[in-house]
Amino acid sequence: MKRAKLSLVAAAPLTAMIASLLIGATPTPASAATPYKAAWIYVGPHNDGGWSQAQNDGRLYVQKALGSRVETTYKENIAVGTQFSQTVASLSAQGYKMIFATSYGYVTPQLAAQYPNIKFEQATGTLVAKNVSEYFGAAEDTIFLSGMAAGAASKTGKIGFVVAYPIPEVIRHTNAFTLGAQLTHPGATVRVVWTHSWYDPAAERKAAQSLYSAGVDVLGQNVDSPATGEFAESVGIPWVGYDSNSSNFGPKSWLTASVYNWGPYELTQIKDAIAGTWKSGFYYGSIKDGFTKLAPFGKRVSAKTRALILKYEQKIENGTYYEFTGPLYDQQGKLRVRKGVRMQVLQGGTNSLYGMNWFVKGVIGSPNG
Amino acid sequence: MRVGIEQRLDRPRWLVVAVPVGSVVAAFVLAAIVLAVTGHNPVSTYKQLFEAGFLQQGSLTQTLTVATPLAFTGLAAAAAFRMKLYNIGAEGQMYMGTIVGAGAGLYFGGRGGPSVFVIGAMVIGGCLGGAGWALIPGVLRAFFNASEILTSLLLNYVAGLLLTYLIFESESYWRQTTGFNATVFPTSKPLPGSAIWPKWVLGLQGGLTVPLGAFLAVLCAALLWVAYRRTRFGFEVQVAGDSERAARYAGVRLRRKVLAVMALSGAIAGAGGASYVGDFSHALDGDPNGLQKLGYGYTGIVVAALGRYNPVAVVVIAFLLGGLENAGNTLQGVDFPAGLVGVVQGIILFSVLGGELLTRYRLRVTWRQHAPKPAPAPEAAA
Repeated sequence: MKRAKLSLVAAAPLTAMIASLLIGATPTPASAATPYKAAWIYVGPHNDGGWSQAQNDGRLYVQKALGSRVETTYKENIAVGTQFSQTVASLSAQGYKMIFATSYGYVTPQLAAQYPNIKFEQATGTLVAKNVSEYFGAAEDTIFLSGMAAGAASKTGKIGFVVAYPIPEVIRHTNAFTLGAQLTHPGATVRVVWTHSWYDPAAERKAAQSLYSAGVDVLGQNVDSPATGEFAESVGIPWVGYDSNSSNFGPKSWLTASVYNWGPYELTQIKDAIAGTWKSGFYYGSIKDGFTKLAPFGKRVSAKTRALILKYEQKIENGTYYEFTGPLYDQQGKLRVRKGVRMQVLQGGTNSLYGMNWFVKGVIGSPNG
Repeated sequence: MRVGIEQRLDRPRWLVVAVPVGSVVAAFVLAAIVLAVTGHNPVSTYKQLFEAGFLQQGSLTQTLTVATPLAFTGLAAAAAFRMKLYNIGAEGQMYMGTIVGAGAGLYFGGRGGPSVFVIGAMVIGGCLGGAGWALIPGVLRAFFNASEILTSLLLNYVAGLLLTYLIFESESYWRQTTGFNATVFPTSKPLPGSAIWPKWVLGLQGGLTVPLGAFLAVLCAALLWVAYRRTRFGFEVQVAGDSERAARYAGVRLRRKVLAVMALSGAIAGAGGASYVGDFSHALDGDPNGLQKLGYGYTGIVVAALGRYNPVAVVVIAFLLGGLENAGNTLQGVDFPAGLVGVVQGIILFSVLGGELLTRYRLRVTWRQHAPKPAPAPEAAA
């Protein structure tokens, strides 16, 4: 009984202190500074060696291009939901006018409506509203090319792919990777293991390990950290990265990676916002406008393979080749996309890039996680 | 010189006040060194920390969104730890509370404003979900003497996987299955209007929003205080916690107590889950990068320890830690890495918890009278 009373005594001065601070509190004036304030929000650390790092490179590109005309900041490791709302509230209080929410699930219609004066730019989603733009691009094209490198590097035709969430984005990337691998290695299979997180180095490493135990001789990934590469390096098998050029995490294993160049799009949006001409929209970049490209090849990619990949890169760029053209068969061998039909980004339900919920023939694993 | 630690026989009154205050001061000095070494001005950083946590326009509203779930999980831990029943499972019990609470909201809810009936159903559902989940380690402990620390901890992972499964890997009742956006990325069904918990806006800081859950947490703390101070049940729980043998000798039925306390602890965590859904997320938060990343259940253990298992103190500590957490979020950015925020928060928590040791034990320094000389060992001869 005595203990409890005493601890209350200890808590009293603290509460009194807080109360006195509250009464003396004055609202901080909204910043009237000239630079346009924009913030980036990341799911992982800004230097994760993958997705968030590529996003941060975009921020630095914008900052460099506009200099003192903008003030940029970032928030890392921000959870979806209440923590994101909290972060937006504090950024809003500090006078930030534009927020690059770099992962889908961050911005909800309710939240956007709550902050009509903030322009939200959300990566990878489809929620376009008055103050919400969505931006992403055809990484599947470059992932397809990186899959070609994986197929050529494989002796057994058994490839492993570490994947995040069972959602259309990851499914289409896995399919593109598989189609690429099958082009250079007919009959190749791609086995997947889900980590249920965009950024979880420990789970990614474990997934890579279990794929290796299952007999794959090349590893690829659709997750944010280079943990897969570090594992590949430790057992001496080739590796295809993702998001950023992270060859330094596995220099001997490195083949290539599909990487993002977010900066130019973000720069256009901020310039428009400063000029007052910003409008919400849906942007889907490509190889053609430089949004997505291949990272430099590693030593393990032969000259012949390099030439073949570059040839396909050109064909995709000028539109004479597209990996998601029928006939495309699913895992059960059922014809999903008829001969000659090209898949669209948004139109076509489960046969669209944004609605794809089935794996192509040759993928081992369930598209439901 | 030898430094030893020995238990204090009595705890002087001044010490109980001096130690927490001293620990906070020590924490701020230690953290100041880290800040100075990494090139940040400690004074302005602390000023920013306080402003972002408690003073800035709208900061208290944000602090409350963290403090409310922390108060529930803190109370859940305190309720069990009182009996030296170490329920580490508030995290998972809270998830189960969100699942059943959101389910009740979706099932009973309809259009219109908040309904007492629907919110009541969500609270009861949340409590049942949490209590049911907590009873698994409770039964294992009561009947098979399995360590509740391990079982309750491991069940957190099971509950987390279940939460993810409901939204990401199945077409469950909680998942939004209509509309194109729902196929692009798995989302949860939003709660209908009558299942959204009310908020009260106070004229402070340009509109301080207090969620219903915050009031519920305070009510819960009051009830817990009464239950543990003023009832036979509470007395028996304390006795069982202090000495199992004494309790058994006094005729306390221990198995029942273990089950009751685990259920109570789980129910409080589950109510926190219902509040999280009704007050903040307004849909089941199944994203592993959402609720599961925040670790309220684990931080609740720290809250309970800092509050010395006293329900009223737990609520106050939850508020302070909520502010610290919220401030950390505001503080981090280009010039202030998130890792450094964690270090500063860690130093503060470590010092305050470490200081706690000094109220119960004291350091005893003994100087050797003689120069170290190989002395004969009489024990060896015997």
